[in-house]
Amino acid sequence: MAGMSTEAGFTSPDKWAPDTWVRVSPKLVTARRIVLSIWAIPTIAALGVALFLLPNVPRIVMIALAIVAVVGFIWAWWLIGRRVRSYAYSERADDLLVSSGILFRRLVIVPYGRMQLVDVKAGPIDRALGVTSVQLHTAAATTDAVIPGLVPDVAADLRDRLARRGESRSAGL
Amino acid sequence: MTDSTTGPSSAIGDDLGLGIALPGSHLLDSQGHRKVHPLSPLVHAVAVFPAMGGLAIALGVSGAASIIDRLEALRFLAFLPPVLNAIAAIALIAFALSLLVAAYQYLAWRALSFWIDDDGDLRIQSGVITRNLRRVQLSRIQAVDVTQPFAARLFSMAVVVVEVAGQSDSRVQLKFLTLADAREIRREVLARSAGLSGDTQEAPQNIVATVPPGRLAGSLILRLSTVGLLLATAVIIGFSYLSEGWSGIAVAAVTGGVPLILVVSEFIRYYGFTVAESPDGLRLKYGLLRTESRTVPPGRVQAIDYVEPFLWRGRGWARVRVTIAGVGTEATSSSNQQETLLLPVAPLEQAHDIVSRILPDLDTSTLTWVHAPRRAWKRSWIQWRNLAAGWDEHTFAIRRGRITRHLCALPHARTQSVRWTQGPWERVMDLATMHVDITPGPVTVSALHLDSDQARTIALYQADAARRGRRTDRSLHWGEAVRGSEDR
Repeated sequence: MAGMSTEAGFTSPDKWAPDTWVRVSPKLVTARRIVLSIWAIPTIAALGVALFLLPNVPRIVMIALAIVAVVGFIWAWWLIGRRVRSYAYSERADDLLVSSGILFRRLVIVPYGRMQLVDVKAGPIDRALGVTSVQLHTAAATTDAVIPGLVPDVAADLRDRLARRGESRSAGL
Repeated sequence: MTDSTTGPSSAIGDDLGLGIALPGSHLLDSQGHRKVHPLSPLVHAVAVFPAMGGLAIALGVSGAASIIDRLEALRFLAFLPPVLNAIAAIALIAFALSLLVAAYQYLAWRALSFWIDDDGDLRIQSGVITRNLRRVQLSRIQAVDVTQPFAARLFSMAVVVVEVAGQSDSRVQLKFLTLADAREIRREVLARSAGLSGDTQEAPQNIVATVPPGRLAGSLILRLSTVGLLLATAVIIGFSYLSEGWSGIAVAAVTGGVPLILVVSEFIRYYGFTVAESPDGLRLKYGLLRTESRTVPPGRVQAIDYVEPFLWRGRGWARVRVTIAGVGTEATSSSNQQETLLLPVAPLEQAHDIVSRILPDLDTSTLTWVHAPRRAWKRSWIQWRNLAAGWDEHTFAIRRGRITRHLCALPHARTQSVRWTQGPWERVMDLATMHVDITPGPVTVSALHLDSDQARTIALYQADAARRGRRTDRSLHWGEAVRGSEDR
């Protein structure tokens, strides 16, 4: 324990925003909201039609369900904005930090020497909007380090930097 | 604990042999390749005989009897009483089916040969219908074990199991060889994989721990589930007796029978558990009917879990599980449980002694501990008193669990990544959990519900300690001095 707090090098008073944190592109908000709309709006519409066709559904139930659907949709819409703003990463000398989450918050520390591969992924909507996600894998299945919503050039640069650092520091199991 | 040295030979259990073994050692085919023992088809047949008996019963006892009626040669069986008649019929059908298996295995035996090629790799040719030539790079071998399934034990025969790193079908089995041959092949493959010439003598092994049968039986009975079910059985029988409602007996047969079967089967599986030290790792040996032998390669051990069930604590016993890189991740849960077990039960002191042999720097007695704060009781009202994270120069460890206590520890160098997580309920109380990620296995290193700031500081500290640990790691080079070769 001796000297632990001085060694940690994490002295910023604002624990979630030290100087080196990089946030992700706001375009990710648009991409995720499009994905949400693509599946949620048809689902809600289909359920609405089904309820309308069913006989003997009291009007009050219909209204209540409609309110739940609309409120839920707006809440999910709003939550996407907050979630995306919560993503941040920081490249330190020997490891990468990734922090994310609102309800369930997390901070992942991945040493460069432990990275086994770096995935760069982008779905069709992501590509159209110009966002890419970078995922880091180690030998542990529980390592959960994803940085979504990077501009493709930034993502490619990050991947190359990570790969270089990984090579120079790699260690056996 | 016994500290005796058992000469250079690695004795595998007591031999139940029937003395049928042929003197056919070192059998070679026309190309000079090694063959497994010619009695192998017979061993296979004996091994499948019980299953074939089941199949015969499934075919129908009456059906079997009518077959006997039709066959003139078997007419004599008709004079037996009906019950014996049926048993004889089942035995005959099972025998016939086993003969078919033996015939197939004879073809398989003819097709199977193995040798060490010019590059020094192990090659295995097999396949009756599809020919299959497999090459096992000796430098990638993790462990070579000799096991004796029950049928093989009857004939004093054994199986050589070669574990290879990083392949999906990562296990090669040579069935069956005489015990002496199996040991010889094991020694030769191990020596070659260590880069020594094929005729290097097998290194001696020391028995460092044994589990006495009494303690094993006690540990299996002293489980909350077993004790609970047996008590429930006693209560049910008592009530049935008082109320003369005998239907309770059927329930009692289940609640009493299930734990009994579990205890007996685990007792048979882990009977005579022995831990021996050898240059290629700790060698574990156990089993009453089926003798298993496993090697734990110390350089690949990632983390240790000392498990102390509630009823063992008065006796100071613990079970030790290990996470080994690439072991027990894809196997079925039961063999997974076996493959990741280092000690089924041992006094804590002995458990620490065994662990110190694979991870010499791991010492959990001198750690600096940070405990979960008092307010954590609202999040985990049973185990909060035992939640803590601890560390020293070489080791990181966590404690959790109140009824069954866990102490999970790993060398800093085995850290893959570090995580800090906080759920909504933890956030309300300013708590957080800190995880050290390791390769997949039974050990989970999570320091639950610490103070939020403390947990993050520990996480960042651990990332630094892991980096320093990787630089100065020496557990990878275990046994190097004995073997005198490059590290694996």
